[in-house]
This record gives sequence, C-alpha cells and structure tokens, in this order.
Amino acid sequence: MTDAEVAACLERGRTGDEKAILELFHYMHPQVAKIVQSNLPPRESAEDLIQQVCVKVISHLDQFSGKVPFLHWVSRIAVNTCLNQIRHEKRRPEVRLADLSEDEATVVEHLAASPGELDASDHVAAKEIVDKLLGALKPADRLLMRLMYLEGRNVDEIAALTGWSPSLIKVRAFRARAQLRRRYRLLMKETA
Amino acid sequence: MNPLDDQLDRLFRAAGKVHPGAVPAPAYGLETRVLAAWRAANAGEVSGWDLALLVRGLIVASVIMVISLLPALKSSRTGETSEASTTPYADFAQLADSTVASNDAP
Repeated sequence: MTDAEVAACLERGRTGDEKAILELFHYMHPQVAKIVQSNLPPRESAEDLIQQVCVKVISHLDQFSGKVPFLHWVSRIAVNTCLNQIRHEKRRPEVRLADLSEDEATVVEHLAASPGELDASDHVAAKEIVDKLLGALKPADRLLMRLMYLEGRNVDEIAALTGWSPSLIKVRAFRARAQLRRRYRLLMKETA
Repeated sequence: MNPLDDQLDRLFRAAGKVHPGAVPAPAYGLETRVLAAWRAANAGEVSGWDLALLVRGLIVASVIMVISLLPALKSSRTGETSEASTTPYADFAQLADSTVASNDAP
C-alpha cells in the first residue's frame, strides 16, 4: 500500500466504510503481529493481544493526525498495549545454570573461553539465553533491551515507539544493562 | 571493555541474527471479530449521540415549561389580594358565602 492509498483508506475508514477498515486491518496486521510476538507476555494469547491492538487502532482513526506514517502510529499503540499488558507481571525468575539446556550451557562456556563471535549454529541457543536473561528484568526494561539490542533500534526510534523521552531511555537502558550484567555474572560464576 | 560486557554484546549479536519466524496470516475469525468490535464501538457512538440529543430535548422542554409557568406564578403572587376586586362576580360570591355561613350557623 502506498502512502496515498493508506491516506485514502483512512479517509474512507473514518466515514465508516467497512471495506476500508478491512484493508487497513490487513495492512497493519503483519506489523502488529511482529511486535506482539516479540513482546508477548508469558501465558498471554498472541491472537487476543493482536485483536486488542487492531480494535484500538481502528476505533481511534480520528485521533491519527497524519504527522507520522500510519504504521509508526500503529507500532506505538502495539508497543504500549504490550507494555500495559505485562506491567503487572510479578514473576521474574532468576536464571540459573540448571535452567539452561545443554546447547545453551555450551554457548555460555564458549563465550567465556573464546573472544570470537558465536557460530551460526549457536544463534538459536544464544537467543534462548537472551530470552531467559531478559525474562528476569522488569517489563519496561525488557522491552527496551529487546528494541535496543535485538532489533538494533536507536534512542530516537525507541522514543518514537514508546513515547519515552530520550533521557529516560538512556537512564533506563543503563540500569537495565547493569541488571543484565549482574545476572550474567551470576551465571558465569556457576559455570566456573 | 569489561569482559562481561563484551560477552553480553556477542550474545546479543548472535541472538539478533535469529530470524523471527514468518508472521502468520490473520487467524481464522480474527478479521470478523475485529470488524464486529469496530461495529460495536460505532454503535456505542450512535447511542451516545442519541443520549446527547435526549438531554438537549429535556433541557429545551424544561425551559419551555418554566417560561410558560412564569406568567401564572407572577399573577398568583400579585393577584391574590386584588382577585376579589378584579373578578366581575366577586360581590355575588361574597354574598353567597355569607348567606351560606349565616344559614349554617345554629
């Protein structure tokens, strides 16, 4: 969909055109699904959350000013909906060596022993370890670390997505990184 | 750089290379549910509009009622004392009242 097509669709959607609403739904669904899946709270159904975001977007089309691209606006709503969903999450398990699979433990040992990058075959195990380490952080910190280190977004992009100020992002990133380092150190101690 | 930071960076770089699975097509029924929720939200807006109209109607009706009652209130306040003299049959009414009163007396 081009920008002009999206704008036309939005206009028709605001006047109650169901066909336009469906076109917008299919246009935004991949983006919403991607965000929800990567920030999915534990024990939460992705489909329910995707539905919640999509309904929120199409019910508030009037509030879209058009100053940013439509998908940026959708992403922001998706990120904030996920964040609200996981905000009250209480359980943040510590990561212990015993929780790691054999492959994951090998990756941790490899990281400590060799300064080189991990092999492609270790990437999935690395992702599992990262998910476990992030799972021990507060939801907002987890989201930030994911956006910053896994998706490679910069401070401005994260600010646009979350609505946080750049200084808040920097402070939060610094603290979250320190938390991650502490938990990783504990893991390394167990390995040694 | 701190060796732990270096290891964490390498870990994140490796994890970031894992391709997220392909985004699946919308689940069966999701489109219908989203559309239904949108329709329900729109219906809610219509009933809100109806409510606003009803409230305005009530306000207008109250204003008309008050305006129509004002002259009656005014006349009842100022007219109680002068009613006897302004009513054409006031004298007959007074005469009838005193006759009834005198007939009833023992």
